[in-house]
Amino acid sequence: MEKGVSGLEKHNQTEDQAKFIEVWEDLVSIKDLFLSILITASSTMIGYFLAHDQEPLPLFFGLTGALLGFVISSVLFKPKRTINIEDEV
Amino acid sequence: MTLELLLGMVMAALAGTVLYTILGIIPGTDETAVIAPVTLALVLLGIEPIFVFTFFMAAITAHKVTDSVPVAVAGIPGGVMAAPMVEHAVQFKKHGQADLSIRKMASGSVVGTLVAVPISFLFAWVLMPVADWVQNYAGPLFFFGTIILALLAKNRLVSLVAIIPFMLLVQGLRHLYWATGVVPEGRNVFTSFFLGITIGPVIVTLLELMNKDKRERMNRFPQRIISLTKQKRKMGMPNPFKILTIKETILSGLASLIGSITFILSAVGTTTLIGELFSNFEQDRLKKSSLAIACMEALANATYISGILIPLIAFGIPFSSVSLGPGLPLFQAPPVFDENYNMHHALTIQEIFISTLVGAGIALFITYYLVVKYSREISAFVFKWIPHEAIIGLFVGLVFLLGYIDAGWINIAGVLLVSIVAGSLHRLGVSFGVLFMALYSAPWFMTLFG
Repeated sequence: MEKGVSGLEKHNQTEDQAKFIEVWEDLVSIKDLFLSILITASSTMIGYFLAHDQEPLPLFFGLTGALLGFVISSVLFKPKRTINIEDEV
Repeated sequence: MTLELLLGMVMAALAGTVLYTILGIIPGTDETAVIAPVTLALVLLGIEPIFVFTFFMAAITAHKVTDSVPVAVAGIPGGVMAAPMVEHAVQFKKHGQADLSIRKMASGSVVGTLVAVPISFLFAWVLMPVADWVQNYAGPLFFFGTIILALLAKNRLVSLVAIIPFMLLVQGLRHLYWATGVVPEGRNVFTSFFLGITIGPVIVTLLELMNKDKRERMNRFPQRIISLTKQKRKMGMPNPFKILTIKETILSGLASLIGSITFILSAVGTTTLIGELFSNFEQDRLKKSSLAIACMEALANATYISGILIPLIAFGIPFSSVSLGPGLPLFQAPPVFDENYNMHHALTIQEIFISTLVGAGIALFITYYLVVKYSREISAFVFKWIPHEAIIGLFVGLVFLLGYIDAGWINIAGVLLVSIVAGSLHRLGVSFGVLFMALYSAPWFMTLFG
């Protein structure tokens, strides 16, 4: 799972800073991850049931709910990455 | 072909390009996991097949081109397909020439697409006479395909051992749903199991987090520092054939040809094998990496395009690793598409040809331009604003939705079960390809008993 990233995350590693875990080849905070899943799963299913029994609207509403959850999570949680811009050597 | 239809296709191509230019750059996003659910949703929503197919061709082309961008600018693969390129791209980055490696990659994509489209149509035409035979024996062929795929895999023994138990799990759940009346008898729950396989490894990790000991023993990291190299801005639209040397053009063309003909095999496997083999034509370290990058990108693109086009045109059966992965909803999306009526039946060859030209053409043109000119800015935007948590949340949300649609609330637990098994098997070294094939051939296999 951890291919191609060695060296990049090793910078400035101190004990108290090292709090993120790797899921699906990128870093996440456990709390943020569970909240994101909770938010998106709920918004998706709420979307679906808002349009219950009116085919094919439920799927469309469900997908919109999923997208909404994605946007909310993106606003609420910060990516666990620091961007460094280097000049060309 | 009316103007309205063409306009719709252009819109579909643009939508696919924009969405997958962003998703392609996000690290770790597996092609199957990001392209299949959206394509599936479009099919189920009842969008015209020709628009769905154009969208799909744009999506795979855009994703393929952009997933190598983070490799070049940050040394991180944007998707599974880009992983073999990391080693070579790092050479360029070390020499401060990240922009050159991006140009080489993007040009390789152009070569791959230009070779793969005509070859795929030609090859599909050659294979058409055996199509009836293939369709009649699809069940056994798929079963033997699963075995062959397992034998070709890196961990062949564990792959072989996993096949039949995994089929039992899938068929067992289906029969349980029929017996309890959750699903009408004879309808195979497919889509949600398929998604369950793709997010299996994530689910296993999530469950591990619920175990206190495992959680505390897990590796912890500080914020990941991503270094992006500043690029020199160049004017105008560069010609891909001037970026590649003659040797690189010829060899990447040849690699694309091989990729198109070996369409059944895993794209990642062929890319690594042929890319490394061809790069031996150069001795100098940087030239070698340049050749490897161009060939790998060309071949990956070609394998993708032919892997979807050939089975789609000739058979109407997902007979390649690409059509069993990201392209599966074009073949199987009950109740809209199944073995008897899918994209193969919905579109004529001419329609497939035009959709391919519009979809892949627009995606290639836009991503080539963007990647060559703005790769650093796009990467910085994605890295800075899209948290990985939101992406994982999105996929779990989609699994809930499609799981419920397939067989109600109980199926959320069913999909969870499939995910746990598939994810554990994946960790043991069983590839997704083997699991997808097993899912596909399970109904036939079980008819051999009882």
